[in-house]
Amino acid sequence: MITIKTLSDENLFTAGHTACPGCGVAMSIRNAIRVLGKDTVVYVPASCAVVFGTTFPYGAWKVPFFHTAFENTGACLTGMQAAFEIKGKHVISAGFAGDGGTYDIGLQSMSGAAERNDDVLYICLDNEAYMNTGIQRSGGTPFGAWTTTTPVGKKIQGNRRFKKNLGDIVTAHEIPYYATLSIGHPLDFIRKVEKAKNIKGFRFLHMFTPCVPGWKIDPAKSVEITKRAVESGMWTLYEFENGKKKITYKPGKMKSVKDYLLMQGRFRHMSEEDIKILQMWVCKKWNLHYKEKGEPDICEIVQPEEHHGITEEHREMHGP
Amino acid sequence: MFELRFHGRGGQGAVMAAQTLAEAAVIEGNYAVAFPFFGAERRGAPVLAFARIDSKKIFSKTQVYVPDCVVVLDDSLLDTIDVVSGIKPEGSVVINSKEEPDEIDLGKELRTGAIDATSVALEILKAPITNTAILGALARVTGIVKIESIEEAVKTRFGERLGARVGERNALAARIAYEKTVIGISKGIKKLETKKQWLPSYQELPVGGALIEGRTEAGLIGPGSFIENKVSGWATFRPVRDKAKCTMCLLCWFYCPEGTIVRISDRGDLMTNYDYCKGCGVCENECPVDAIKMVRGRV
Repeated sequence: MITIKTLSDENLFTAGHTACPGCGVAMSIRNAIRVLGKDTVVYVPASCAVVFGTTFPYGAWKVPFFHTAFENTGACLTGMQAAFEIKGKHVISAGFAGDGGTYDIGLQSMSGAAERNDDVLYICLDNEAYMNTGIQRSGGTPFGAWTTTTPVGKKIQGNRRFKKNLGDIVTAHEIPYYATLSIGHPLDFIRKVEKAKNIKGFRFLHMFTPCVPGWKIDPAKSVEITKRAVESGMWTLYEFENGKKKITYKPGKMKSVKDYLLMQGRFRHMSEEDIKILQMWVCKKWNLHYKEKGEPDICEIVQPEEHHGITEEHREMHGP
Repeated sequence: MFELRFHGRGGQGAVMAAQTLAEAAVIEGNYAVAFPFFGAERRGAPVLAFARIDSKKIFSKTQVYVPDCVVVLDDSLLDTIDVVSGIKPEGSVVINSKEEPDEIDLGKELRTGAIDATSVALEILKAPITNTAILGALARVTGIVKIESIEEAVKTRFGERLGARVGERNALAARIAYEKTVIGISKGIKKLETKKQWLPSYQELPVGGALIEGRTEAGLIGPGSFIENKVSGWATFRPVRDKAKCTMCLLCWFYCPEGTIVRISDRGDLMTNYDYCKGCGVCENECPVDAIKMVRGRV
């Protein structure tokens, strides 16, 4: 089993790329490829990752890298894997698609690859909007969030739709492995990527990646915010293996979603009513994931604390 | 016609600065246009914006190639970009720098106004967003618009989008910068070599653009070649690690999005390569023992 200490020193995604300071996508990519290792081929559709990772003729990837159109991550991965199988090479075909390229535009091709159970690794970098083209709403944008296509006006404030439940869509294909990851939980992150690496069949890793300009956050807080998302229930860490769902990290008590929202400029306009609506959605999700059978529904909310950058996982690693 | 070119970095507000200047000119009864140059810019990457001011209607829609004034929002750009290219001999430069104008080497002797806009912005706005401060300095150096019009334009433009209080504070930043600006003549010593570009003919290009690792006259190309792209100029603050406090938990190494923090397993140590640090501050925020401090300036 790989831990932080035994991760490889080598950077397969080199320094000098042009991502924004504090980019959550860059963090996720770097660490995922560290675990996956050298025998990997990468496909990236249109997204931030293709712009900051490769600007022809330069590239940050040290592994074979391929890029074509927006909507065909699943199809391309299938083709690449088939070619390598015919050539008798053992490689992992990994696709890093954004939330736009997975929730909306690439859904059909991802679904096709999942249905055929092709031996590929699909990674969705979910930053909850089309950030590359300048912050437009996607199927992954949460309720109330400001984007340029869901602006804040007098009649309507921000996005009125809830985040699409991609986990259920993907797992409905009965694939061998689906997991949600957050960069703020390193041990969990590494374990899941390693697990996905060694499973055969269609694996899907769903990564939660903060976007500094899109979420209007302080770049230094981009890791802290993923921890808060998990603590408040906006993001849940679980895995789905051979039809069985397992929660891999359960926060102690549900923190108010306000705690998470207030850190971000995209939610700052939200009225108390809208926050309540979102809180009810989070409670529903929380009960769906964390409630044991036969227990009553929970919707107790702990009010925001002053500062808590340190989570349970950190305490395990470093003591109180 | 008075033409300006703004050099900045994504996130510093060069585009907003050009628009606000145009608005100030309109308040004074002139005609003005402002527009940015778009590329695949991320936050922190070099960006361009342009403005034109005239007493008559403006029909010219091109980029500004022969500016009367160049505004530089970040002096680290001077190392890589020839900011004064094409400037008129009697033109002027407004620059965000800690140094006196006489110490700044632009490669041409030009009338230069220097202002430490980053310090002004950090003091007044609590963020290194220097666009309003630099507008104050611009009013002082060129006199093309009055500082009062700048203040008014800042208040309306920023006030509309970010609330009246933010507008007031930004106007104050412009006023303070106006008063603090030092004017002198820049040095004209350095010769900036433009970075060579790899421009292959169509026969030389591989099929499908599939590049393998290689070295050309213009430097590395292909996989891993971004390593030659130094991004240290993006940072305002840089991390310094206190080795005595460090417990080698490696969280900073894990979280660093850039690869600035390098682990050397043989020595069991970490090294910080400032060539690639963009100064996000994640390492400082996440360090469980507070061994990392973000320090302003070059380390």
